[in-house]
Amino acid sequence: MPGAIVVEFPELFLTGLWLTAQLSVIGSLGALLIGTAIALFRISPLPPLRWIGVAYVEFFRNTPLLVQLFFLFLGLGALGFRFWTTDTFVAIFRAAAAGMALYHGAYVAEVIRGGLLGIDRGQIEAARSLGLSYAQTLRYVQLPQTFRSVVPPLGNIGIALIKNTSLASTIGVAELLQAAEIVESRTFRTEEAFGAVVLLYLVLTIPASLGVNWLEKRMLIAR
Amino acid sequence: MRSSFVRVTALTAAAAILAAACGGTGSAPSPAPATGQPTPAATKPQFELASYQYSIQTKGKLRVGTREDNVPFGLKNPATSKFEGFDVDIVREFAIAIFGNEAKADPDKFIEYVPVVSATRIPTLKDNKADVIAATFTINDERLKEIDFSTVYFRTGQKVMVKKDNATIKSVADLKDKTVCTAKGSTSEKNIAAKNKDAKLLLLDSYAPCLIALQQGQADAISTDETILFGLVKQDPNTKIVGDYFSDEPYGIGVNKGRTVFVPFLNKVIADMIASGRWAEIYKKHITPVSGDLKDGPHDKGRSN
Repeated sequence: MPGAIVVEFPELFLTGLWLTAQLSVIGSLGALLIGTAIALFRISPLPPLRWIGVAYVEFFRNTPLLVQLFFLFLGLGALGFRFWTTDTFVAIFRAAAAGMALYHGAYVAEVIRGGLLGIDRGQIEAARSLGLSYAQTLRYVQLPQTFRSVVPPLGNIGIALIKNTSLASTIGVAELLQAAEIVESRTFRTEEAFGAVVLLYLVLTIPASLGVNWLEKRMLIAR
Repeated sequence: MRSSFVRVTALTAAAAILAAACGGTGSAPSPAPATGQPTPAATKPQFELASYQYSIQTKGKLRVGTREDNVPFGLKNPATSKFEGFDVDIVREFAIAIFGNEAKADPDKFIEYVPVVSATRIPTLKDNKADVIAATFTINDERLKEIDFSTVYFRTGQKVMVKKDNATIKSVADLKDKTVCTAKGSTSEKNIAAKNKDAKLLLLDSYAPCLIALQQGQADAISTDETILFGLVKQDPNTKIVGDYFSDEPYGIGVNKGRTVFVPFLNKVIADMIASGRWAEIYKKHITPVSGDLKDGPHDKGRSN
């Protein structure tokens, strides 16, 4: 039966699944926060903020995630920054989570900026005429409508993020892919080990897809 | 080289005396087979008729299974199409011991190279496509069920590498709760896990990032085969290799089962080449450039160059 090898090495595979899930959740929340902030920077009336926003998006979107991960692990390490820990394994996990959030944050920022720009100019003018401040207009008028309209593209980014966590194995995080690599090198049962990992990724991504679909429908009703 | 020459001459002389004294006991073989050239029989070593080395001598070629891509042990040089490496020079000594003086100038004239990879080494022998396998062939119990091995002609194993100023890690036993970097998918990972289950393994794709992690203190040690560690120490002189081998990789010459005279013959050639210093020469030629040390034999601890 495909995936039966998981039962033989439960510690490796289940720890791997747990680390992948943690990276996915922390990375997604971080990406959402960073993305929203950068999107607001990019539509800000203050030019310096806009420049920062543009620089951020172009840098993180246009360099490989793998390189960013190595920079966060070994590059920052060379500069003496270890993510506030002396434990190497905590440090690489934090580096990986930060990498996921920073890289995908750039994509989230573009999606949210697109959503914000899609809101009719008249609404903003109306809100300001009613006496709402810039911040209040964002908070009560622009952002709620934006998040509704960007659920499908955000879902895409979230699912891509789950799969991209596999790159964390290159900096030593013992997530799913690394679990498969260890099992493979110990047993030489390549097809079984990697077959099991494909199934375990699906265990994470299919519920995520269904969740996005459900959220999308709910948002449509609310609209 | 000299000792094998002396030995061969002595052996020939002894055989001649024996044949003269006893009027032939049947142990002295007929003169060397025709190779087209008029060769004085005296330059060829004499073997028992029943021995495998005699049949090789008769056929005129020693068939050697070796690797084409395993520096510094077996490599087919793409420029010259000639085989070279530590394993190759060892089998050339076998060819000289079997074919005598004539092989000394160019042993390759008496060797037929059969390229092998890890997985084809035992089948190549069993299908009788090669007489000997010289291809970083680790002697182990599993393989001894299938084939026979000569004595150990090269020995290596896994070691631990740390920063030069590290005084606490002296061997694999000191790796408890330490972060040890090694490559994924290697036997190194398996060996450390078996030797010290309390070591925390940082598994990266290759040894270059491991070295950076060690330099930065994100890893306390690196562990893998000594030959690879030699290369890393060369890159960063602020590191050192500590402790003894904790995995044993004794290389032997693989031979088909049932060659009861041939294997002791090979062992004798290996012992002679260690005694004569020829082994040390071959080591210096192929291994010293990566290891930086000198050895007189496979069980020698080594000394600095």
